[in-house]
Amino acid sequence: MFTAIDVSTSGLVAQRARINTIAGNLANLSTTHNELGETKPYQPRYVTFQTDSSVGGAQGTAGVRVDSVEISNADPVWKYQPGHPDAIKQGEHEGYVAYPSIDMTMEMVDAIEASRAYEANLGVIQVSKSINAQSLKIVA
Amino acid sequence: MLTSLFQGTTIPVLEQVINFAQTRHNVLAGNVANIDTPGYRMRDLSPEMFQARLKSAIDQRDAIHGIMPAASPGGVTQNPVSRVGDSLVDLLHHDDSNGSLEDQVTSIAKNELQHNTALAIMVSQFQLLQAAISEKA
Repeated sequence: MFTAIDVSTSGLVAQRARINTIAGNLANLSTTHNELGETKPYQPRYVTFQTDSSVGGAQGTAGVRVDSVEISNADPVWKYQPGHPDAIKQGEHEGYVAYPSIDMTMEMVDAIEASRAYEANLGVIQVSKSINAQSLKIVA
Repeated sequence: MLTSLFQGTTIPVLEQVINFAQTRHNVLAGNVANIDTPGYRMRDLSPEMFQARLKSAIDQRDAIHGIMPAASPGGVTQNPVSRVGDSLVDLLHHDDSNGSLEDQVTSIAKNELQHNTALAIMVSQFQLLQAAISEKA
């Protein structure tokens, strides 16, 4: 009876997870240390989604769930900052600082997309609820 | 007298459904209130368990009174349906996995619909009784 609502809810949960990773990526745009304080640029995270037939699978529809959170190992972006405490002391990148490889524009576009998808799922829930309320009018 | 008047209807059953929906709503509201509380464990009442109990209570009642009891002739025996209320105390505690706001709000919306459906049917039952009492539609 509530298949559509359950499927849309799984969409809400998945899109929220996606927005959370994007928020983390943007917050760590200039992070050059990891959790242990070692000099290692932040590696952006990206979620992958997977269909979830445990939600509403009986009627051929499938929900969605977060499959994994992938950690990007793209090469860091090098900036020449010899005075920076994290600047490389010797070798090919001497005087350069490794920054995370995060494209702010892409992240913002992804955030807007996730936000729109969230709204779309909310919209479907509204429609499902109104259909249920309409059926109720048969009895009353 | 009133008891036997209502026993021929589904009102006692609907009363249990509405009671359950209201109690479950309180539990779910508590979950939303504590969504950011560290170490809080989500609580719930199981609708499946409630429905199973309600079904067996209805079966028991039908076995005692017949499918549509006109009026119980002897003294009023204890109504099996009234014992379904026991399921209001079976609090389920979820495991410590992440509880999401969306899941809780969706449960509340579904619970609301269940409550309103039972209430709508109950109102129409009362209207039927009213019509019978006042002899006009």
